[in-house]
Amino acid sequence: MKTLPITEVRSLLSAVSDHGRQHLVEVEADLSQTAYLLSKAIEKLNASFMAVHAAVINQQKSLDALMQQHHFTVIETGQIDMFNKIIGEEVNVAVTGLQFQDITSQLLVRAIKRVNGLKDLLQELNTHSDEIDTVNEHHEIAKLLDEMSQSLHTGSHALSGGLRRSVDQQNMASGEIELF
Amino acid sequence: MAKTILAVDDSGSLRQMVTFSLKSAGYDVVQAVDGQDGLDKAKQKTVDLVLTDQNMPIMDGLTLIKNLRGLGSYQNVPILMLTTESSDEMKAKGKAAGANGWLVKPFDPKRLIEVVQKVIG
Repeated sequence: MKTLPITEVRSLLSAVSDHGRQHLVEVEADLSQTAYLLSKAIEKLNASFMAVHAAVINQQKSLDALMQQHHFTVIETGQIDMFNKIIGEEVNVAVTGLQFQDITSQLLVRAIKRVNGLKDLLQELNTHSDEIDTVNEHHEIAKLLDEMSQSLHTGSHALSGGLRRSVDQQNMASGEIELF
Repeated sequence: MAKTILAVDDSGSLRQMVTFSLKSAGYDVVQAVDGQDGLDKAKQKTVDLVLTDQNMPIMDGLTLIKNLRGLGSYQNVPILMLTTESSDEMKAKGKAAGANGWLVKPFDPKRLIEVVQKVIG
């Protein structure tokens, strides 16, 4: 009767665990760096947006003062009104767009939690592989694989259950409004 | 006298955009960084409207609403949810907790102001 290659199985499980975890550490680092860069980007964008808006308000005040002192033609005042309208519309678009960080950060946090959960699941493979008793290898390896399968199933289920999807947005169009 | 709105959100950028939009329309805005902070600030001063996110650390939006509705002074104050959540299940939970409306992020400032004006004038 052929014996199961228990040393190789143990080695394989350990390798899957170690390499998998190593790559997931890299994924987690990239996601964390992305989250950090996005938060810094939004800080700068928000600060610039507020500064530009304040400058436009002051510019308008100066223009209003000029309009009181000098006569502007109907065409000129019409153009100023048109520019004000365009600025107002673009400000609305910018405010909607500037909410991207709030939405993407929720997705990134969820992705990082899932990566951490996967790392824990892979650690389970390594833990189980250490428990193999070579004396009763046939029985032990069957028990090991069964326990591992159960453990992965339970861990995966718990991971999915704890990571409810809270962001369904596929674009940055404004969301629906419902009054009860 | 300007009406006061309590804006509760753990995202600083979102609070800034909400505050900018509402102040542009003439409202005063009090900011809170999570549900517990929102509850504390609501107790300090009764506001005219509460606009809250759902997913926040320490205390979420639904728990905040339930707590506010338990206070005598907030039984009739309009509360709107402003969240990424858009499922019917979550909306039903919000309605059951005492929310008066549900706005899905991202919000359009013009539409947000229209809704606020409709609710509190």
